Amino acid sequence: MTVSEVHTTKHTESQQAPRRLSDGQFAVLLLLPGVALLAGVVLYPLVAALVTAFFEQSLVIPGRTFVGLQNIVDVLQGDFLRLLGQTLVFTVGTTVLPFVVGFALALALNTKIRGAKVLRGLMLIPWLVPGVVVSFLWMWIFNANYGVMNALLETLGLVDGPQAWLAQPGTAMGAVILAKTWQSFPWMMVMLLAGLQTVPGELHEAAEMDGAGTVRRFLAITLPHLKGIVGLVLLLEFIWNFQHFDIIYVLTGGGPAGATQTFATAVYETAFHGFDLGRAGALGLLWMVLLMGLVVVYVRFSEKGEER
Amino acid sequence: MSATTQLPATPPSGRAPAATTAPAPAPAPRRRRAALRSERPGVRLAAWVTVVVCGGFGLLPVYWLLATALTPRDQVFAYPPRLFPAAPTLDAFAALASNEQLFVYLRNSVVVSVITAVLSVLVSAYMGYSFSKFRYRGRRSLMYLVLASQMFPQALLLVTLYSVFSAYGLLNTYTALVLSFTTFTLPLCVWMLKGFFDTIPDELVEAARVDGASRLRIIHSIVLPLAAPGLIAAGLFAFVRGWNDFIFALTLAGPDKQTLPPGLVNTFIGEASTAWPELMAASLVVSLPVAIAFIALQKYLVGGLTAGAVKG
Repeated sequence: MTVSEVHTTKHTESQQAPRRLSDGQFAVLLLLPGVALLAGVVLYPLVAALVTAFFEQSLVIPGRTFVGLQNIVDVLQGDFLRLLGQTLVFTVGTTVLPFVVGFALALALNTKIRGAKVLRGLMLIPWLVPGVVVSFLWMWIFNANYGVMNALLETLGLVDGPQAWLAQPGTAMGAVILAKTWQSFPWMMVMLLAGLQTVPGELHEAAEMDGAGTVRRFLAITLPHLKGIVGLVLLLEFIWNFQHFDIIYVLTGGGPAGATQTFATAVYETAFHGFDLGRAGALGLLWMVLLMGLVVVYVRFSEKGEER
Repeated sequence: MSATTQLPATPPSGRAPAATTAPAPAPAPRRRRAALRSERPGVRLAAWVTVVVCGGFGLLPVYWLLATALTPRDQVFAYPPRLFPAAPTLDAFAALASNEQLFVYLRNSVVVSVITAVLSVLVSAYMGYSFSKFRYRGRRSLMYLVLASQMFPQALLLVTLYSVFSAYGLLNTYTALVLSFTTFTLPLCVWMLKGFFDTIPDELVEAARVDGASRLRIIHSIVLPLAAPGLIAAGLFAFVRGWNDFIFALTLAGPDKQTLPPGLVNTFIGEASTAWPELMAASLVVSLPVAIAFIALQKYLVGGLTAGAVKG
């Protein structure tokens, strides 16, 4: 059902007999367009994708054969553990690093240093630019022949000669994580700054008068106050990065030799380059099981904030 | 979601984002100076070191993007790279302007993002209003289902979405892109607009009803105009979501319907020698509408994103 159809039905029904609809029915009609979209674009494809895990099915050849758990067994015996490991390295790296950078900046910009406001605005740039732009820029920075990263590190004496950062299995994942960190840290900074601004100044003043030093006040007042928001940003960032696609795909395409492949890129590659929907579904099923655990935690977390 | 790469698909944190509450304004200059005196030198030094190190990490790549876009083509292949282009030039931008295929991508981006914005505002407004002003069984569950829908991996959805759109003959159409993008704006837009509608007093709606206005009329003539700032914010967000998307346009559309992000990848990446100044110039151009939208949105966005979360 298309959206326009839903709209028409709703309009005619409610305009012809506005009073015959109960409030409840009217409320449900208002939901219909959105629910139709969610059902058609998210729920149905999700369920259907998970169902393909039990079939041998190709993207380009019609028809499919039921194979039971064969695809899942194949994936588990194949590269599942390697993918899980790499996905976790990427996810943890791109959650912790932006948190550290974002928190450090939030604390620094929360002091009364000059120009804090302008800097706060400028720092948002990496977060604003489209994901492909982040990839293009870091692809250029990490360029093996003319990249500015090599020049910088050679000047500092940290590398012997130019490195092909994105083409070496040993360095590619680190490079991808750094690019993603650059994109994510401003969001962390904004959220944590907002959190810092709710810390009551009186508490700090009182503690200072009692002789508590900066570090002591940070540990005893600031950190406990931020517990909620720190949990939230870490959890959300973890969930997002667990399924991040764009930057990895454009920077390395999962390579070299699969060294930066995560669940997201592996499912995509399997379906759209390998045409193997059954295997993609099986990978996706295992991926979803892990992700659902995280989502449940997130919804619980959100509800705790809602119910007051 | 996926998302992040976009104007951060920042989900409303738990509570309805009170989209209007901006973070506390900066203290008045006088108080600031007073506070400065009380800050210890060690703290100030640490703050400055942090700003220089982390700020450099944030801004030096931005400088490099700008500098490369202005570098003449023959200078860009030099090692070590010139940190300051010797003879800055706009040649890269001119080269972009002579590439007709890029204008096809640009037109597609504009069309798809604008329609997504309009459709998303309509759909989310109805949905948000229903959540805000009516009480029925399953309301809360559905609200959280909407919120959770952004947590499902898009790469996985595409595995079957591709076949679904293919079955309906929608591959390589604007429709496929618009329907997909609109759906993924719902979590943020619905929750944001619900927050706006929550601030509209029920008495106002009741009064209009007593006066005999139909329920749809109340929405269109009273509630939506009052929530106009929210509608604009939701629309801009949806625009950016469509504008920044990569994976859907890459997969569901071919060169004649693709938007700029996959279009730029097709044009520039994988060539034997990438035209870096042009790619950086194109990156600036594609980022511009997002920057403008953000400046327009700032008031709602920063407040809306954080208001729900900070008390968590």
